[in-house]
Amino acid sequence: MNKPNDRIRRTHEKVKAGLARRRAAEVRFRLYGLASIAAGLCFLFIMFGSIISHAGAAFQQTFIALDVRFDEEVLAPDGRWDDDALLAADYGALLKQSLAALFPDETLDRQQKRALSALLSTGAGYELRQALAAEPELFGKTRRLWLPAGDDVDLYAKGQVDRSLEEGDRRLTDQQLAWLDKLLADGRLEKRFNRTFFTAGDSREPELAGIRGAMTGSMLTLLVTLLLSLPIGMATAVYLEEFAPRNRWTDIIEVNINNLAAVPSIVFGLLGLAVFINFFGLTRSSPLVGGVVLTLMTLPVIIIAGRSALKSVPPSIREAALGIGASQMQTVFHHVLPLAMPGMLTGAIIGMARALGESAPLLMVGMVAFIVDIPGSVSQPATVLPVQIYLWADSPERGFVERTSAAILVLLVFLIVMNGTAVYLRKRFERRW
Amino acid sequence: MFRCGHPVVTQPESVRMRNPEKQPSTAAFSREHTATVGEVHAKRARIQCRSVDVYYGDKHAIHDVGLDIGHDEVIALIGPSGCGKSTFLRCLNRMNDTIVGCRVTGDILVDGQNIYDESMDVVPLRAQVGMVFQKPNPFPKSIFENVAYGPRIHGLAGSKLELEEIVETSLRRAGLWDEVKDQLLHPGTGLSGGQQQRLCIARTIAVNPEVILMDEPCSALDPIATAKIEQLIDELREDYTIAIVTHSMQQAARVSQRTAYFHLGRLIEVGDTAQIFTNPRHQLTEDYITGRFG
Repeated sequence: MNKPNDRIRRTHEKVKAGLARRRAAEVRFRLYGLASIAAGLCFLFIMFGSIISHAGAAFQQTFIALDVRFDEEVLAPDGRWDDDALLAADYGALLKQSLAALFPDETLDRQQKRALSALLSTGAGYELRQALAAEPELFGKTRRLWLPAGDDVDLYAKGQVDRSLEEGDRRLTDQQLAWLDKLLADGRLEKRFNRTFFTAGDSREPELAGIRGAMTGSMLTLLVTLLLSLPIGMATAVYLEEFAPRNRWTDIIEVNINNLAAVPSIVFGLLGLAVFINFFGLTRSSPLVGGVVLTLMTLPVIIIAGRSALKSVPPSIREAALGIGASQMQTVFHHVLPLAMPGMLTGAIIGMARALGESAPLLMVGMVAFIVDIPGSVSQPATVLPVQIYLWADSPERGFVERTSAAILVLLVFLIVMNGTAVYLRKRFERRW
Repeated sequence: MFRCGHPVVTQPESVRMRNPEKQPSTAAFSREHTATVGEVHAKRARIQCRSVDVYYGDKHAIHDVGLDIGHDEVIALIGPSGCGKSTFLRCLNRMNDTIVGCRVTGDILVDGQNIYDESMDVVPLRAQVGMVFQKPNPFPKSIFENVAYGPRIHGLAGSKLELEEIVETSLRRAGLWDEVKDQLLHPGTGLSGGQQQRLCIARTIAVNPEVILMDEPCSALDPIATAKIEQLIDELREDYTIAIVTHSMQQAARVSQRTAYFHLGRLIEVGDTAQIFTNPRHQLTEDYITGRFG
């Protein structure tokens, strides 16, 4: 046996001895990976499951059918009927009459009457006024109208009131339940699609509260953020990456931009409060201030993403353009920027998505106020989706639990749409070189 | 193995190691360099360089190079890696401006005008002195757009028809027209490496330069593509001044009329290509072309 063969054999043996261990390590590592992905997915499903199961109920609302007689004597006791009277009329009395008419064989005391009225939402009177304003000929006539039920009735209809509890532990009395059973038997109790949720602003009453005010506020705020941060961020990225000389000053700027990206967002809120509201005197609670504050927050993200997108454009493209006599600006705008665009846009949209989900800095500039009206411009008081979620989650009424989840769902849909757009843009404009 | 300024007397074995079948050399057996050997002046000089020094930050990359490049000639710049030949080439159309910390001193005159003058605008200069790079770098656009870009930004074509004419002529001159005439709107990056390089040459000649600088244009190409480019260089010689950096001595011998040998940032020897390759006058040149290093 000669020596080299022996050596080769021994090497083989050593390699073989370690082989099982190496394979086991590999398998183990893959299992770790799978386990972590499974855990992640699991949490994701739990989160979505919980949100969707809660939110589902918020998209339905309970309505009660009432035969409302638009009684002249109640509406216009002094015989005058004009626009002022339409606004000031006692619609509550009409509702009480109509409700009492449903149960003619019962004589009710004051407390019972109040309990009966509580079946309807406090907003039902507005519905009557709107119906009358839309159809003036209803005056003096009787019409069957579907009116929103109160939030306790709504919860009951959705099976969230436990009848087996003692009367004192429930939100509805035995008598109210009896009335509701009769209404249900008469086909006067129905669950319908909750349009209010998408058309109304905020309210103290869960059944009247809607997301539209917050959605409009979010859109206006994001619009301001987009209009400010996209041009400023892109111009900064292009200038720093393509035109600025490399010296101590640009180094300092770069370090500061990187630091700004890591600053907690509430600090930007404080800055916005001090500078934009107290110094410049912009309107408190307005999408304008919110948008400017979010611009400060998103700018570093957009600049950093933009610079790395520009950096990833191969220098040979720049050389090619410069080599045939393109000026620096032509090189950047004709060749470098189009190639960097998908990356820059992705960064911008991800920054925007972050701004959409941000609540802390907006609390500082007053966008946490209770605002019922839907904002019509960037200078009117508004709130935004995440802050609305925070406000509703903080409300004691049970009906807000499902609305909180529904609002989260709306926010998630917005985020998914934005991220989907980012992916689409990247795929659409991506070019190979 | 070797150091500049080594005493001559300690190198007798190197003399013995030389191929005995080689023609007797008239090279001075010294590896010391004091001044460039050979004729740096050209008869009808288009580019004149005098005492050019280039620094990258603190690093002195090129030492006191003087060289003329004449009309209608191909000059090959050869030398081992890192000897400054590419750096020198990039000085000629100020492509070094893009490199941070690069500083050029001395005079480089193109058609009698100092290109490092304060008043010099690099845009017309680079249109006048075009460049082809080591790696084919077509724009990620259509073949047509690749060639049309230069004429368009310089406003060379008055009409679309004229532009199309320029594109066709340039592609024909680059020997690419027959291969791509049916796919002008296809992306330039979809061509083969050799075709891409010819596309880059077409793009360069589309702006009617006087000088074409080529920085190892064939180093990424196979022998067949290389042969095509070399043939192209030979044809282009009639109309353009060409300076080509190459690592292949065969290529330098095939395509050039004059050759300049660079070593460690110094221009060692300049001469007719035939003379440089058959009868180098400097020991360093001889060492290099006989394959003793590099």
